[in-house]
Amino acid sequence: MRYLRAEKDPDSIPERPLFGDETRFAAGRIAVFQYVIVTVFIYLLLGYWDLQVLNQEFYSEKAEQNQIKSLPILAPRGKILDRDGRVIVDNHESFRLILSRDSLRPAHLRPIALGLNMDPAELEAKVRRYQNQPTWFAIPLKEELSLDELAFVEAFRGQNGFPELELIRSQYRVYPKEGLAAHLLGYVGEISDAELNSPEWAHHNPGDLIGKAGVERYYNDLLSGVDGQRQVRVDNRMNTREVLGVKDAIPGRNLRLTIDLDLQVVAELAMEGKRGAVVALDPRSGEVLALVSRPAFDPNRFASRISAREFNELIQDPYRPLFNRALQAQLAPGSTFKPILALAALESGAIDDSFTVHCAGGATWYGRYFKCHRRGGHGTVNLKTAIAQSCDVFFYAVGNRVGIDTIAEYAEMVGLGARTGIDLPGEKEGVVPSSKWKIRTQREKWYAGETISVAIGQGALTVTPIQLAYAIGGIASGGVFMRPHLVRQEKPEPPARIAGFRPENVRKVVDGMCAVVNGWGTAAASRIPDIEMCGKTGTAQLASNDLLRLKNHEDWHDNAWFIGFAPGTNPEIVVAVLWENGAHGDMAAPIARDVIKAYFDKKARMKKPAQPPASLASAWLAPPALDRKKR
Amino acid sequence: MDSFLGRYRNLSVLLLLVVGQLMLLAFQIRSSQDVPLIRVWVASVVTPLARALETGRTAAAWFLSEYFVWQDAVRENRELRRRLGELELRNRFLSAELATAERAQALAQFRARIPSKTLAVRIIGSGAGPDAHTVFIDRGSSDGVMKGMAAITPEGIAGKVVAAWPMSSLVQLITAPGAVAGVVTQKLRLRGSLRGTGGALCMLEHVDTDTPPEPGEWVYTSGADRVFPRGLPAGQVKMVREGRAGKEILVEPSGLKSRPDELIIVLDGVHGLIPPPGAQPAEGVSLLPPPPPEPGAEETAPVRGANGNLLTDADRLAERYRRLSEAQGVQLGSKGKVPDFTRDPAPAAPNGATAAPAAPARKQEPPRP
Repeated sequence: MRYLRAEKDPDSIPERPLFGDETRFAAGRIAVFQYVIVTVFIYLLLGYWDLQVLNQEFYSEKAEQNQIKSLPILAPRGKILDRDGRVIVDNHESFRLILSRDSLRPAHLRPIALGLNMDPAELEAKVRRYQNQPTWFAIPLKEELSLDELAFVEAFRGQNGFPELELIRSQYRVYPKEGLAAHLLGYVGEISDAELNSPEWAHHNPGDLIGKAGVERYYNDLLSGVDGQRQVRVDNRMNTREVLGVKDAIPGRNLRLTIDLDLQVVAELAMEGKRGAVVALDPRSGEVLALVSRPAFDPNRFASRISAREFNELIQDPYRPLFNRALQAQLAPGSTFKPILALAALESGAIDDSFTVHCAGGATWYGRYFKCHRRGGHGTVNLKTAIAQSCDVFFYAVGNRVGIDTIAEYAEMVGLGARTGIDLPGEKEGVVPSSKWKIRTQREKWYAGETISVAIGQGALTVTPIQLAYAIGGIASGGVFMRPHLVRQEKPEPPARIAGFRPENVRKVVDGMCAVVNGWGTAAASRIPDIEMCGKTGTAQLASNDLLRLKNHEDWHDNAWFIGFAPGTNPEIVVAVLWENGAHGDMAAPIARDVIKAYFDKKARMKKPAQPPASLASAWLAPPALDRKKR
Repeated sequence: MDSFLGRYRNLSVLLLLVVGQLMLLAFQIRSSQDVPLIRVWVASVVTPLARALETGRTAAAWFLSEYFVWQDAVRENRELRRRLGELELRNRFLSAELATAERAQALAQFRARIPSKTLAVRIIGSGAGPDAHTVFIDRGSSDGVMKGMAAITPEGIAGKVVAAWPMSSLVQLITAPGAVAGVVTQKLRLRGSLRGTGGALCMLEHVDTDTPPEPGEWVYTSGADRVFPRGLPAGQVKMVREGRAGKEILVEPSGLKSRPDELIIVLDGVHGLIPPPGAQPAEGVSLLPPPPPEPGAEETAPVRGANGNLLTDADRLAERYRRLSEAQGVQLGSKGKVPDFTRDPAPAAPNGATAAPAAPARKQEPPRP
């Protein structure tokens, strides 16, 4: 309006400057603008103060973390070799997939899980478990990628797909196929939360592969090396620009076992299709020459992180393939206990050479009729005949004379009812019943009738196959018991126990056992020409004969045992065989026979003068030259 | 004198002119020429001027007439050129239309043959830089295109969608560094990964190089990468050469051979079968078989290293003992014949044939303690 008025009257002079108000208005605006700018600057200065002064170290570290990336270099585990240096467990190179948490985007978890055939919820839970770890701590996703998984990862790795996926070359376990020596060797697997919280594994980190069973577990610290690290400088797209430094991994040490692969293989083949265990020991040193448990599992499936479904299948298998029968099967030994009872009777003076019993096929003890396995009876038998023909009636009488507490005393003296101390995890003790034991465990007194059952290795008495091998090996060695062990030692170990058995008593028992195989005994069919194998069969009842007649269920058949050693004097090898539901002890004897035969045949081959191998076949048992050089 | 001439100036001039005329007449009489001298003089003076004027007039006339003619010609030339351009454009358009129709027909046939649900798209641009190995396509998330989908052509695989916007998408070609497809060779069925190198050829990785594929052998998608459905041609082995870390197998991707203008995006992939050895992918149209009846029948194997022998000495020894017992007719662990482990086992019979009988046992001294 002022403008208009001015135009109307050009000669008039305004009292105040024409733009006086606007100038003031603009000055006000400018002042506001200045305040805003000053505020912004103060804000920026505060930010600068925070970045550069207050939390400089924190942000500097964050920036470094974005710039420098650490990738682990996994240390290969040591190989497991047999006593001759042949490779039982090897390594091979493959890929490990890890999830880098620096560049992890939660939205990617589901497609990654689906692409790798994983459960998305499981993966998300796994990521949550690592929340408390530093961000540079990568999450292991999969071990030993298959070619298909590798193709998926390669296709989606990088900025255009899932930048959090990282592939690392690493060494993986190669175990023998078809579960050969599976329980002995064990397997490796990712450390669990429970293990992480236990003191035994406190020095490990989440995602580490550790030995879970067998030798792999027992000697985990020896076998596993120290992981290395590779530090690289990456750009904002996480592309490697420069390798800053490499700390090499220290590989694990090779482990040389006492196992003789020839014997192990023969025992494994002899146990094919059977359930049970074989333990072969050198009673002179306690070295374990073979240790078999069947049915077995394939440790190779564990080496690449077994799926929950596969693991459940193994767990729910009624024949328990994960169960190490050689160390953990606590079963009645049947008649294989008779030599121990015989020795106890001789040592305690309960019987002497002249002691005989008439076996009419059974006898009544404490109001109950106990049968002999031979319906018609053995007639009048002495100790040697009784052991050779496994006369139950004779041992009923001996047991009754010795008494349960003396039986228990001698059974414990030879190592029953306690762990042998083998260098494998999970060994069981078995049960040696006594009057004290019954009061302690069942709050009941011992009845003399129960001793009759124990006398023939039944009743509450349970042993493991390795205990039996240890016990008989010690007896046959004159009462010197060597702790079973799996790793070769530079210096021989002192005996675990020296029982002061009278040699003549030991000889009487051993003679009886030699007659089992080489005379007219129960395992005469398993005699080895030119080799003096001694032994004892055992048939442990699982169900009464009446029940078996009614329902001939295969799983109710008697357990077959055989304990054998050779030669008869100063034995070099003792073999315990358990064949679950094998029906008769003499069925287990050929298994021990073949292991012992393999031992002596190999010994004979080794004694031959060395000749250049004419063919591949002629060098079949020689340890590989390459491995010898490596050693 | 001056005053006289000045006073009688007109007369003086007249007299001079008359005298001059008389002298000229006398000269003309004496020269005996027909042409009057004045005329000669006039002619001599006027003719050059007239000639110059005529030349100028003629030149101007010529220039004017030629200029307009030239202007017409230029105009006409322009017109003709425009028409030529139009015709050429039309011709090109018609050719393109024809080619498009042929391609569309090929694409339509191809799309009808493959079991996967697909979408034909047009390439509308390429990524910045000569080494970008990416192309933009004219369909995006509003058409169902998603990141991670396969881009193929009737000749084979082309790439993978790496970004999808509402109206367009970005496809990373299989030749791009870092681009990978899971593949399997046609003859030996070696599984591996086809990796872009940034050049025209791709690298076949993670295959067992002990028995590498031969040049010319076709490589098909294995479907393991979860991007490309199984059974699509990926390319042909171009060469097998020694590299720094062993043998390098280079593959020429077949899908990008003809520099396609259109691609097919696999919206919903269905795995096919890998054609048997000898079968060639058809030119232009893929001869994909019907969907496989037993998906996942191909076994997946763990990645093996360069020395990837997954047997241990224990396995080899077990095999030898097994052969030994078979040769002796002994079942280990069973009653009956005692095995003789001093014998050499029969060598492994090729092709699963029966093992040769073992040599007779040598008599040996029994071991004595």
